[in-house]
Amino acid sequence: MKQKSSYAGKILSINLSNRDIHVEELDPSFVSLFLGGRGFGSKILYDNVTPNIKPFDEENLIILTPGALVGTGVPAASRTTITTKSPLTEMHGDGHASGTWGASLKYAGYDCLIVKGKAEKPVYILIDDGRVEIRNASHLWGKNTSVTDKLLKEELNDPDISTVCIGPAGERLVRLAAIMHDGSDKGVNARCGVGAVMGSKNLKAIAARGTKDINLHDQEAYKKAYQEYLETIAIDPYVPPATKYGTCRFMYHRVKFGIHGAKNWRYGSFEWEPLDPEVFRSDYQVKASSCPMCPIMCRRDYRIQSGKYAGTVAKLEWECIARSITCGINNPEIVIYFSNLCNQLGLDVEGTGGTIAFAMECYEKGLLGKEDTDGLDLNFGNHEAFLTLTKKIAAREGLGDILAEGCYRASKIIGKGSEKFAIHVKGGEMTAGDPRGMPVRAVSYATSTRGSDHLRSNPYVEELITPEEAEKWFGSKEAADIYKGVKGKGRLLKWSEDFVTIGDILGLCKFAYYRSASFEYLKKKGLQLATKFYNACTGSNLSEEEMFKTGERIFNVEKAYNTREGADRKDDIIPLRFFMEPLIKDKIDENAVVDRGKFNTILEEYYKERGWDVNTGIPTREILERLQLRSIIQDLVKRGKLA
Amino acid sequence: MSTKINLAIKKRVVYRSRPHEATGLCTGCRSCELACSLANANVFNPQRARIKIVALGAGIDIPVTCQQCEDPWCQKACYVNAIVKDKKLDIFIVDENKCIGCGNCVGACPYGIILLDPITNKAIKCNLCNGKPACVAICPSHVLEFITDNDISKVNRRRFAAILYNEDNALRPVPSGAERIRLLPDRERRRP
Repeated sequence: MKQKSSYAGKILSINLSNRDIHVEELDPSFVSLFLGGRGFGSKILYDNVTPNIKPFDEENLIILTPGALVGTGVPAASRTTITTKSPLTEMHGDGHASGTWGASLKYAGYDCLIVKGKAEKPVYILIDDGRVEIRNASHLWGKNTSVTDKLLKEELNDPDISTVCIGPAGERLVRLAAIMHDGSDKGVNARCGVGAVMGSKNLKAIAARGTKDINLHDQEAYKKAYQEYLETIAIDPYVPPATKYGTCRFMYHRVKFGIHGAKNWRYGSFEWEPLDPEVFRSDYQVKASSCPMCPIMCRRDYRIQSGKYAGTVAKLEWECIARSITCGINNPEIVIYFSNLCNQLGLDVEGTGGTIAFAMECYEKGLLGKEDTDGLDLNFGNHEAFLTLTKKIAAREGLGDILAEGCYRASKIIGKGSEKFAIHVKGGEMTAGDPRGMPVRAVSYATSTRGSDHLRSNPYVEELITPEEAEKWFGSKEAADIYKGVKGKGRLLKWSEDFVTIGDILGLCKFAYYRSASFEYLKKKGLQLATKFYNACTGSNLSEEEMFKTGERIFNVEKAYNTREGADRKDDIIPLRFFMEPLIKDKIDENAVVDRGKFNTILEEYYKERGWDVNTGIPTREILERLQLRSIIQDLVKRGKLA
Repeated sequence: MSTKINLAIKKRVVYRSRPHEATGLCTGCRSCELACSLANANVFNPQRARIKIVALGAGIDIPVTCQQCEDPWCQKACYVNAIVKDKKLDIFIVDENKCIGCGNCVGACPYGIILLDPITNKAIKCNLCNGKPACVAICPSHVLEFITDNDISKVNRRRFAAILYNEDNALRPVPSGAERIRLLPDRERRRP
């Protein structure tokens, strides 16, 4: 008898060009190396999407992979990775989102869905317990995400079916387009323009449901680990504010360090008081909600009760507030409306906010006049213009058509020196907080494999560790110093990148497993318990070191992919603004820029720790050999990227 | 010879919301569904769960499970008498050996919470996990309770009193520095 395991055991591939539907068994040796989620996605992308394939080509793939533990009852295991060649960075691209869709795909019997080709007319895919259909979606084309979801559920006569869909932005190949789960108020696979790739395939939506079982290998071990997890979060001081405010709580963190990055990443201080988490909680919160299986409950439903935008409902996340601040907006109602608008149109709030901030600075500097903006007064903080431009981006109207390409490409089109206002890494708009003054965070943005990303690594560890812990784990007491530390930071960065990759592979939420108030709990949740859950569910016998090595392996696959696309050390860089212009805070201090010397020292230490070539930033044969990536070595040698 | 005292003893799983607390409403995490299928079928499969989260849209999620009726319609609808009384817990449960999977009970249940198991094709309904419901144990926001009918009335009474207090309190000025009991922003929802 086959071993009981939480894997469904099959890969479903659908070619929309010739309507070919193909099911294959999951190869156990593939599973043992890449486990699931982001691991499957990265390797399948590497094997199939070569440098000659452009993001909007038929041959590009969309790979939808629920994490290895999705579908089981493991707390906060609900995340699905969508991997593709990104239209923003033209490198490895993926978006992650929580929702019931990934679990539904597994209940239908598949661990992975690969979509390739291009349909002639708009279609949607129905996966119904082993029955797969490609159906006409002409009636859904052009509809908002929530309407699409509603119509699909009505058409299939099942209010509980899980869907992912794109909005009008994805249909028009806006490079900032996202893929939405269950309409507009659940998870969003936002980054890297995954929605645009789906739109380029004329694929409007994918609906999935299933009745198959997900087996559990060892119930005793599972229950023990579950209990241990609950006990850990019960004493972790990180959890109560998360449950109280949701992700809005990061405002306090932002204020503490003065890293708002307001008005297109120029100001560290900002009139943030109207956006206080307490305001959101008392004036707009309807109720707490949560992603599947999550005991932390950090999602929030917000609703505007009165005024111009009365009745707007949104599940607001922190990045939406942060990007509104980048555009100089500090009105909570506008933020909630913006979140809902982006979700309805299928846009990535981070990319859209960052791109609008770029346009606003161009307008301020006179590179864009009123005739370019169709009469919009694009001053920082102008609510009307902010929302109108968001709609224009999704519709690709006027200036929106240029901005829909993302800030990097838009700056190339506008020219006139606007490149220095485009704040992006590898083409992806900047996310989260301002790195100025905190050198390792600056490096972490640069080394991320999918363009600027604060969730590709977890350098926030430096806030938690004591000097003693830093010495033990990262080789130097300096690693615990946020502002001045240099030594040991490279190792800290490598450690944290491999560490959070485990979460993406298993489908675990980063807030539930990879954030904590203490280093001890962090390691316990993110590594120890994640490994225990994985072993209990799948029946493998992975040690914590092997789990960590898997994280490293996946990261190297992505790096090798970017290397094959032509990226090297010169692409591991952050925008010049962070080196040159001091962050304007209430009081200017020495930490107001990213020190280039420190940046390079940390980057070199990081490359050394990774086992990559220090001069080129390219993985070496030894490290790839050690990580059992022989097929990748052969491929890179064949292409002359590896000696 | 003894009179029936079922009402006070019989316990069932109820949704007990606490609208005045931040996490006092069902968050829709569906942990209970998988805990139920794990307890009763040893697998993860929400289709085999005997408790269901109904998503009404706009972020409203309500858990629905068997009401453990005194005189249940599912039992009346069963041709083969497969729905039998469990003496210990004083509820009706499905005798899997007798059940023929006709699905008659499914149509009869006014709450839509007796179901056909997609794998075994037999009827499944909440059996209170032998007195220790797994769904209640796992609920992270503690909105599911295993409670007697009499206690349900106490709970409802308390909630009603809290609403009365709030309605009353909303009209009064708030003394400075005092913690105000928070009103739900969406006031219509509390009124049927």
